[in-house]
Amino acid sequence: MRALQVERSVTRFAAARAASGWRPGAGGKVGPLRLAEIDPPELPGPEWLRLRPRLAGICGSDLATVDARSSQWFEPIVTFPFVPGHEVVADTDDGRRVVVEPVLGCAVRGIDPPCPACAAGQARRCHRLTAGHLAPGLQTGFCADVGGGWSTGLVAHPAQLHEVPDAMADEAAVLVEPVACGLHGALAGPAPGDGLAVVIGAGTIGLAALAAITRFRPDIERTIVVAKHPVQRDHARRLGATTVVGAGEVRRAVRRTTGGWLLDNGQLTAGAGLVLDCVGSPASIADALAVARPGGTITLLGMPGHTTVDLTPLWQREIALAGAYAYGPEPSQQGRHSFDLAIELIDAAGLGSLLSATYTLERHAEAIAHAAEAGRRGAVKVAFDLRPGPRGPGRRR
Amino acid sequence: MTSLPGSTPPKRKVPVNLERLRDGGPAAWARAASRLRPRPSTFPFGPPTWPTSVPRPPLERHLGVAYDTSWARRPPARVARLLVTELLTTPAMRALARPEVRGLDRLASLDEPVVFAANHASHVDTPLVLSVLPEPWRHRTVVAGAADYFFDTRAKAAASALVIGAVPIERTRISRASTYQLQALLADRWSLVIFPEGGRSPDGWGRPHEPGAAWLAVRAGVAVVPLHIEGTRRVLPRGTSRPSPGRTTVTFGRPLRAGDGVDARALAVELEAAIAALADEATGDWYSARRRAAAGASPRLTGPDAVGAWRRSWALGPGGRSGRASAPAPGGRRWPKL
Amino acid sequence: MPRPGFVLDVDRSTPPILTWHGEGFRLERLPADRSRVIYAPEPLAGLDDPDAAIWEALHQPRGDSPPLPDLLRAGMRLTIAFDDVSLPLPPMQGPDNRQRVIEAVLELAARAGVDDVVLICALALHRRMTESELRHAVGDRVYDSFAPHGLLLQHDAEDPDGLTHLGVTDRGEDVEINRRAAESDLIVYVNINLVAMDGGHKSVATGLASYRSLRHHHNVRTMRHSRSFMDQHNSELHSSNWRMGRLIRDAGIKVFQIETTLNNDAFPKPMAFLQKREWEWDLRDRAAYLATSAALRRTPPAAARSIFHSVKAPYEMTGVWAGEVEAVHAATTEAVYAQQLVPVEGQSDVAIFGVPYICPYNVNSIMNPILVMCMGLGYLFNLYRGKPIVRQGGVAILSHPTPWAFNPVHHPSYIDFFEEVLADTTDPIEIEKTYEERFANDEWYRHLYRTSHAYHGVHPFYMWYWGSHALEHLGDVIIVGGDPAAVRRLGFSPATTLADALEMAADTVGPSPTISHLHCPPIMLADVR
Repeated sequence: MRALQVERSVTRFAAARAASGWRPGAGGKVGPLRLAEIDPPELPGPEWLRLRPRLAGICGSDLATVDARSSQWFEPIVTFPFVPGHEVVADTDDGRRVVVEPVLGCAVRGIDPPCPACAAGQARRCHRLTAGHLAPGLQTGFCADVGGGWSTGLVAHPAQLHEVPDAMADEAAVLVEPVACGLHGALAGPAPGDGLAVVIGAGTIGLAALAAITRFRPDIERTIVVAKHPVQRDHARRLGATTVVGAGEVRRAVRRTTGGWLLDNGQLTAGAGLVLDCVGSPASIADALAVARPGGTITLLGMPGHTTVDLTPLWQREIALAGAYAYGPEPSQQGRHSFDLAIELIDAAGLGSLLSATYTLERHAEAIAHAAEAGRRGAVKVAFDLRPGPRGPGRRR
Repeated sequence: MTSLPGSTPPKRKVPVNLERLRDGGPAAWARAASRLRPRPSTFPFGPPTWPTSVPRPPLERHLGVAYDTSWARRPPARVARLLVTELLTTPAMRALARPEVRGLDRLASLDEPVVFAANHASHVDTPLVLSVLPEPWRHRTVVAGAADYFFDTRAKAAASALVIGAVPIERTRISRASTYQLQALLADRWSLVIFPEGGRSPDGWGRPHEPGAAWLAVRAGVAVVPLHIEGTRRVLPRGTSRPSPGRTTVTFGRPLRAGDGVDARALAVELEAAIAALADEATGDWYSARRRAAAGASPRLTGPDAVGAWRRSWALGPGGRSGRASAPAPGGRRWPKL
Repeated sequence: MPRPGFVLDVDRSTPPILTWHGEGFRLERLPADRSRVIYAPEPLAGLDDPDAAIWEALHQPRGDSPPLPDLLRAGMRLTIAFDDVSLPLPPMQGPDNRQRVIEAVLELAARAGVDDVVLICALALHRRMTESELRHAVGDRVYDSFAPHGLLLQHDAEDPDGLTHLGVTDRGEDVEINRRAAESDLIVYVNINLVAMDGGHKSVATGLASYRSLRHHHNVRTMRHSRSFMDQHNSELHSSNWRMGRLIRDAGIKVFQIETTLNNDAFPKPMAFLQKREWEWDLRDRAAYLATSAALRRTPPAAARSIFHSVKAPYEMTGVWAGEVEAVHAATTEAVYAQQLVPVEGQSDVAIFGVPYICPYNVNSIMNPILVMCMGLGYLFNLYRGKPIVRQGGVAILSHPTPWAFNPVHHPSYIDFFEEVLADTTDPIEIEKTYEERFANDEWYRHLYRTSHAYHGVHPFYMWYWGSHALEHLGDVIIVGGDPAAVRRLGFSPATTLADALEMAADTVGPSPTISHLHCPPIMLADVR
């Protein structure tokens, strides 16, 4: 079975780190990722199924891994060597087309009774990511035992599978996982009170969050979206942003909308009630802290990693800073699962068009480079196309 | 709109004559190429070009007549000029113009600053005269140079003052400033070479004299030595830049002095006649020339009046304006008879 | 004897022409036989004794005004208003005209025993001046006598208690001016008439007015009907100001106007090449050009900016007139025309404007993209009388680096205007309709205008309106050497070189277009027939 595999190699990680400092995505060439012929993963249990991926997306966390920029935090909750790829649309042996919910919680690990979080249906908050009959790993795509989407085969527990409606194309279905992430983050925050939300970042997650706000959050009347690249701006406008601004313009845009003052050090006297940070960089978190109004909430959808940021406003303004990770039943939507809402949202908002390019596994270095510079190169989501036949290599949309 | 240049299409798109290009060979091609490709301007490193439509302003104050040449008469410059005259000018003139000097004996009794007044046909005239001047004038002589020609740029003014000892002078009417300057020079025992025609002859014939030379001599109380130069027209005619070697004759005349009661105008007339007589003498024999001079019938240097341009050229004889149409006929007349 | 202005027909032997490019300049070769360069007249001689001339003007006023000493008496309220930092450009070497005139006026006021004297900087919606700028304008003696007592004020168009509404003109225009000025027994207005737009009734009716009053003539319709605003007889801007000025007069407010004119000697000796005709550059000029350009290439933009802004012009006062506003202004306008008018025959297809480092609104500051537009299409384009130097549908080519950079202290609302308004539309009518009110009433801008050194929130709109006549007239605007993103945000086309720009212009106006190059500064006024 052909697969892209991440190995634990100190020299390759070091090389990726150095190369990606020079150019994002350069880790794809010199880093820990390599194309290999490996044995398919064994079925960990009787109820487990084999999947043949059709499309598998490249996510920001995957890029961080390939470029060796991931946080040390993940060290104990991943197992090497693993096959990345957790945004997967795949075929089962019994002919169903499914998307994978990659979280590896108690049910999947065969732990019974489940931990309190899993018992409450919140598998993403599972307490036992390192226990059970699977090797440690927070998700499919970071665990040695289950394989990942960047290959021609992986295994999955039935609890992980969500069936794809027939009318939905593979190209839209591969976006279900990231859209569910964005959607979950958009639904997580409280009502802003002033009807104003700010979405910082307009990659796949940011745009999905924006689409979710437009569709599912009637309490938010105006959305200011920070988009760096023209393609992102166009999508943001289409998906219902009230105002789209460039990076570095967000503070002024929020000030204009809220009518406060912009003080000399860049802080605002007023601000937005809800800020979604879909970037997770020190600059974006600083912006989020600057534009959140006193008593407002910041939701971090982007993976922040090591960050140096002045938290004084968090304290002085009683700002809530919360993370939003993965998916699950959404209380605000009568407990409907994020994946089901995502399938509905992709269809309703036309999010399928966010998939910009697909590559074969052989061209993984190009794919990684493209994904790392997606916005600049006019793309949003880049994926591997694993379907056999002539549709394959390098197809762009 | 119509008033702007370029609003009407130019008559000829390509600024070269295509027929000439077909027949003219490599030289014509080179010329055409230089016209089509504007010469690379060195501005602002070099001086700017001057737009054709803008008239040049009068010379700047410190150039032209106002140019101070006194530095060129101090010892270092004089030594330099002596070296140039003896080591460069004189050998060059010998090779190029092969001057025959006549009438030096007429200056034998003279030992004072004088005004040398000569006819003027060529740039060679000045170095030629300087190369044949006898002592004591040889290294204590300045040349009156047209202010607008020799003194229009700093470099040219400095070179003229250094190499030929030029002092600036107006072509037609001598200003008070230059009169004083020249008078002072004459009083300081400097002699002066001056071309009373005020410039080189445009067509080979002489031009009517300006009265400046005579007037200056009268004011300064010095003698005027008429000087006739023959043949430089063929060595380096006006309008060419490449000399062709030839034979020349320089004839010194008898010094003229304004007698009591003779005014400058009379002296000027006398000077012009004297030079004409010297010309006559250079082409024929002395006595015939004297007889014609006494009768007031010396051939006029200014050529025939009131005739067509071609007849003036025709009357000039062989080697007309271009100077080199053909070699002078052996034994033929070198000065035209009218 | 200074030479008059001059229009050069460019031929093959014409040297490259100096073209301003922000904090720098370039030598640009123009196409032969279809280009012309318009040169300003040479500086007229200044007055031999300006102080004596001022004294004489105050004692022998124009129009039906009595001499100033007759208007001054003990116990009166006297307000002296003066032009702000936007005049002259570049700032003049001291002593400034305002200092000379104000000192003369105060001398007379002291003799008359006037105690209640207040000086007001008539800055309308401009930024407040800094102490050093005020000291430069009025001189240390005046500053030290008035500022410590709070008697040297800067007009505040947003002070709810500091304005007086005087009435409405027959065209429905509100006239609201500074309360202290309105309640004075006499306003003495001290002006510097750098261009023909300045002065006259505009001094008080605009300089001391509120936003409520200004919006009646600072709008798209007025600017499009001011052709140009340098020609007061064909300028709706001036008609409106004149109506307001007469209403102020009829309301019983006495204005004693003092106007001064300058010659156009804009650059000190070492930079004299900037105002010389290129073919007359001598060795020193060429050396100065080469040295300056080489130095500028190695200087960071911010340093280059502060060097340029430290340049003080050796302007000399060419005239001073005092008395009744309209009579004074007639004489001033004539003097300005005498210095600046250049007769020009006909219009061309393309106009090239080298935009310098300074415009009225970025003294000691950054020339941001909006100001580049205002300087190029507002001021340089409008330096005409009769008709524009470029034909209807023609192309204007501006030369300026146009960095995406703003001075956040001076131009806070400009940044928002650029990021929000221009991202949406560049149509002046649309901008006026959709955005002006919100910016004009923004609390933060108001706060910064009143307490800091910020232009009023609505000021960037006025910059855009200033160019609205040009935007309507022109077929395309190209900026040479500008930041492409900023240029596109302005709605213009970026070009790398002048040659590229001329080729792009040909798409709009046809091949081999005729070209006019306005060799400005020094300031001139093209009298186009």
